[in-house]
Amino acid sequence: MAATGKVLVVFALCMFSIVANGDMCLGPQVTSQTYTTPEAIVSTETVFIVEFSVACKNGLKNINLYAEFGGKTVPASKIGEPNGNKFQLSLSDEHKKLPSGNYQVRVFDEEGYAWLRKAQRSGENLDNIKPLFTLDLSHSGVWSGPVLQSEFVAAMTAIFVWWSAYTAKSRLQQ
Amino acid sequence: MSLRTPTRRAKASNLDASDVPYRYRYKAFLRPSPNSRRTSSSGYNLACPTSQRDKMKLWIAALLLAFACYLPCGAEDETEARLLVSKNILNQYLVEGKDLTVEYRIFNVGGSSALDVQLKDDSFPERDFEVVQGNLRVSWGRLAPSSNVTHAVILRPLKSGYFNFTSAEVSYLPTEGSTERQLGYSSSPGEGGIVPLKEFDRRFSPHVLDWLVFAIMTLPSLGIPFLLWFGSKTKYDTPKSKKGN
Repeated sequence: MAATGKVLVVFALCMFSIVANGDMCLGPQVTSQTYTTPEAIVSTETVFIVEFSVACKNGLKNINLYAEFGGKTVPASKIGEPNGNKFQLSLSDEHKKLPSGNYQVRVFDEEGYAWLRKAQRSGENLDNIKPLFTLDLSHSGVWSGPVLQSEFVAAMTAIFVWWSAYTAKSRLQQ
Repeated sequence: MSLRTPTRRAKASNLDASDVPYRYRYKAFLRPSPNSRRTSSSGYNLACPTSQRDKMKLWIAALLLAFACYLPCGAEDETEARLLVSKNILNQYLVEGKDLTVEYRIFNVGGSSALDVQLKDDSFPERDFEVVQGNLRVSWGRLAPSSNVTHAVILRPLKSGYFNFTSAEVSYLPTEGSTERQLGYSSSPGEGGIVPLKEFDRRFSPHVLDWLVFAIMTLPSLGIPFLLWFGSKTKYDTPKSKKGN
């Protein structure tokens, strides 16, 4: 009886590992590097670039990943070696629509993406679907030049100096 | 192939030196006039879609290309994937040593998914450009029909002068069972002038140091009379000002 139990447990474990190794990335370790547009002259749109590499505990290679950001889903671009599990995500929108702050990009595998598509078609809430992992982005905003032009500041200083001198002079002549 | 149309168009106009758009001419940078932008839009709207109008034109061009694709094709081709690729430079000004954003957009206008899509851009020589972030060789496993994907690369021009931004190359498998790769080219943004950093700073930097030097230089002519006046004021003026107040 105990032997059959053990056999069953071993069998179940074997099955589990096969199922798990199928196409699920287990315990993904993600290292990422981000770039966000710093200045308005650099780009007419705010661009976020995230380069990340994924290491699965079960050593899964050549996976396809999809990202969800602001209700839109896009496939992540593969970069580097074909089996390197390195990806790049590029997100762009107008400067106004991507103000400074923290953003979260949810990354899905094939299965999660299928669920996401289903939810999108039926109009369900996308937040209920659990992503494989999330990427955090912090954007410090787009610098579009100084608020006050230096010429303006200089002119104001000159006018102030002249005004104080003129009032002092007219007070003397009184 | 209809994908090549924008390339040809841009190349044909590049042959004529006088056809370099006014906005890329060196003087245009120093004194940019709003009119020059309007007149330069023909053929070069792909280069810098600065205004909504330019963007609209790009979309219309993309749509026209899409229809041009459909017209000669038979019904059987509609089950194939067809990719349209646009390559844009998002900068207002191209400046030496400052980031340059290149954006690629791939549209699948065909009837089925494109498989193993590979985008390759060899048009940025290593001695002229440094990659800050992003990759010039990327691939996607699958691109669903009527979907699009955006890819961006940040480069840094190392030299100033004119640079002809040419097209990127895309290859993909148009159907599930196909073994032959379909090859296509993106639109080409055309020639752009990369401004030297010095020139750019002269025009756009806040000149704080210059103004400080100016202030120091004007200080003697303002400061010496002020000190003389202030000295005499403190000597003689105290009772008078009390009266005045």
